[in-house]
Formats: sequence, structure tokens, C-alpha cells
Amino acid sequence: MEPPQAISLMLSNVETIPGHSVVSSLGLVTGSTVRAKHIGKDIFAGLKNIVGGELKAYTELLNESRNEALQRMMADANSRGANAIVNVRFATSNVAAGASELFCYGTAVVVQ
Amino acid sequence: MDLTVILFILLGLGGPLAFPVFSWAIGRWYQGTLLNALNEQEKQQNAAFGGHLIGSTSSKMTTLSAQSSVLLHTSIVVGPSMGQMFFMWFKSIFGGRLHSYDVIIEYGRREVTRRLQEQATHLGCSSIVNLRIETSTISFAKNSKSNTSSMEFLAFATGIRN
Repeated sequence: MEPPQAISLMLSNVETIPGHSVVSSLGLVTGSTVRAKHIGKDIFAGLKNIVGGELKAYTELLNESRNEALQRMMADANSRGANAIVNVRFATSNVAAGASELFCYGTAVVVQ
Repeated sequence: MDLTVILFILLGLGGPLAFPVFSWAIGRWYQGTLLNALNEQEKQQNAAFGGHLIGSTSSKMTTLSAQSSVLLHTSIVVGPSMGQMFFMWFKSIFGGRLHSYDVIIEYGRREVTRRLQEQATHLGCSSIVNLRIETSTISFAKNSKSNTSSMEFLAFATGIRN
């Protein structure tokens, strides 16, 4: 398997790309990933739970995963020939014990 | 009654409670220091950059004058300490305000907003529009009993460059 290419499209969570005008809409694009923690990190997070506060291991894990979901969404949009995605939304859900799904979706558009 | 008997009874009662009390006290102290640090950082950030114009609307006026934009997103996972969870379980018998949750939720929301502003500054944005904050419960633990131990705050917005 070849390593995934980092795709960079213009993204925004408002209805247009500010500074550009939307030429055509190419429909809904989605990207999701399901992640589980690894046991070493869980033990450290358990120790951190003695004092509470931020659980950095989980913050990093979720940020990484969310970037991957974004990459998948952008790959989807790229394959349709879009150069931007508008109205991006994020959703997080617990699909199973010990696993979390990070989902993002938006509308692929062509802008000028 | 013999003094040693009283001592043993006290130890028997205090032993199981020692860890929750310790965890509660240290958690309360630690989260207090986190909030104080956050107050300082917010002050510094406002002093250095004058504060961003943040809005939860997608204002047409702001977006029309924009040169370019960027999607900002950041998240934080926070949780109360084990001792606080233990005492909150007691408190929930009677109901009422759960102070420990208040503190940790306030910290999470403010910290995630601050980080979003930091990210915006780093990317050269002058204002932030359409800010959304989502809260979700993350259960990484295998047993379902401790599934309220951590919360995730996600903030996402569009950063505007003028």
C-alpha cells in the first residue's frame, strides 16, 4: 500500500469560501475513522485520573484521528474534482466500548 | 473502651476512604492551579493580540471583505479526578449542584476556545466566525461503569484573513 498523499483543499464551516465564489456544487462528501486507544496510553490516563484535568494522551489521539477523517473527506472531494469543501461539520460518537468514531462531512464545491 | 480498639475502628473506617479523600483534595488543588494558569494565559493572549473578534454567526459582512479563510479545529479531553467522581456519586443521591463538574467543564470549554484563538493567531487570521463547540462523552475504558470519566470538547470555526 502506498502512503496516502496529503491533499489540501480549501475548507470552511460557513456556507461559502470567504474571498471566493462558488461555481458549482458536487454533493455531500464524508470521511470517518474509528479509533481505539492502546493499552499503555490507557494506563497513563488512568494514573492521570487521580488528579483529573486534561488527559493529553486522549487529546492527541483524537486530534490525530480527526485529521485522518478530514484527509479521507478531502480525498473523496478530490476524486470528484472539487477544490473546496464548505459547511464542514464534525461529529463524535461511541460505537463500541473502548472505541470512538470521528466523523466529518461537508459539501464539495468548485470555487473561483 | 480501650484506646487501641477505637484506633482500629477509626482505621477501619478511614482506610477505604483515604484514597478518595486524597484524590479529591489533590484534584481540587490541581484543577485550581489549571484555572489560574488559564486566566493568566487568556490575559497574556488578549494583551498581545488585542483579542480576536469571535462570533458564532456566519456574518456576511465579515466574510465579504475576506481575502482567504481557513478551517480551524481543536479538541481537548478532560476528566474529574477519581475522588471527585466518588464524592459526586454520593452527592447525586441528594441531587443539587455538582461543583467538581462545573470546574472541569468550565476549564475544558475555556481552554479549547483559547487554543482555537492561538491556532488562529498562528495561521494569521484576524477574526473567527461560525464558532461551534461540541461536547461528547468518550468511553475508552472497557468497563461501562467509568464511562463518564472523560469528556471531549471540540471547537471548530472558520478563520478569516483580511
